[in-house]
Amino acid sequence: MSEARIERGAEGELRMIGVLDYSSGPALREAGRALIADSRSALMLDCSAIERSSSVGLSLLLAFMRDAKAAGVELRVTALPDDMEKIAKVSGLLDILPLEASRV
Amino acid sequence: MSACNDFAVELKGVTFKRGERSIFNDVDIAIPRGKVTAIMGPSGCGKTTLLRLIAAQLMPSRGEVWVAGNNLPSLSRSELFDMRKQMGVLFQSGALFTDLDVFENVAFPLRVHTKLPDEMIRDIVLMKLEAVGLRGAIELMPDELSGGMKRRVALARAIALDPQILMYDEPFAGQDPIAMGVLVRLIRLLNDALGITSIVVSHDLAETASIADYIYVVGDAQVLGQGTPAELMESNNPRIRQFMTGAADGPVPFHFPAPAYADDLLRGTDA
Repeated sequence: MSEARIERGAEGELRMIGVLDYSSGPALREAGRALIADSRSALMLDCSAIERSSSVGLSLLLAFMRDAKAAGVELRVTALPDDMEKIAKVSGLLDILPLEASRV
Repeated sequence: MSACNDFAVELKGVTFKRGERSIFNDVDIAIPRGKVTAIMGPSGCGKTTLLRLIAAQLMPSRGEVWVAGNNLPSLSRSELFDMRKQMGVLFQSGALFTDLDVFENVAFPLRVHTKLPDEMIRDIVLMKLEAVGLRGAIELMPDELSGGMKRRVALARAIALDPQILMYDEPFAGQDPIAMGVLVRLIRLLNDALGITSIVVSHDLAETASIADYIYVVGDAQVLGQGTPAELMESNNPRIRQFMTGAADGPVPFHFPAPAYADDLLRGTDA
């Protein structure tokens, strides 16, 4: 199990990696805040390397949306894993998250 | 490890006694992963005790209780504390904190078990209340809620930590028909949409048979029968038939054991 982290990928891309849960959540929250505050242009958050997520992962997406809004940059989310999509569906978040159709 | 990973919970040869009286005597029960399993039986047959054994609130006198690959009686206190985070329980009474509003009731397990910042706790509380349809009730106090709404808030609280196993103790007791319908729908939705293993302890036959994938009927400290609702309805076992058809008399007699009625009456008060 790799350690959870969020990092800058290619141009305008952020990648969330590992297990998003109650222990990894607080640090990821702060790391994402710093990365988004430094951004000047539109961001794509890639979720394909998330191994497993509880509701904490959905809360992180919402928190990053608030950060992006405050910074005045656009944020899109791509490759939402199945377990996150299930929680998003039950919690009525599918219409609220800025989900990008998977890029193939 | 547990013998079979298709089961989220397995009781093997479990005996539980209160004093000299056996509540369960050498009972085997296997709860399939990701399904709704009902534990049914007459009042007082030990259904709630069974839930408390699975939730590690009680330990068996003898036998093994396997939950998520761990035999509970062999775990340390701190391991049990971690195990309990994986299990949500909807208690019979709802058991909301009466001096906390709806938001703080749902936030409570997040504040106790996690170090999430307030902003994330708020997200998760809103998500869970949205799932049970009560996001609009966030500022209400428990005494401002109907009985059905209280159960739904308690359900939101039970799923706050995303448990793998969700246990319901008499979820339908004392609910009006609409509230029952809402609860049935929610139990099924949470089970199917989130892949949760659901255990419903109940004596409400119609509602329980309508949502259970599999039913255990317990009584007399034993498992009297098991199967899908349809299989149990067809059972030839007279004890199962009596329970499934709600007959007042049968192998479980209507009358509590008593001396012959005529003797009792005609004896007068000279005893």
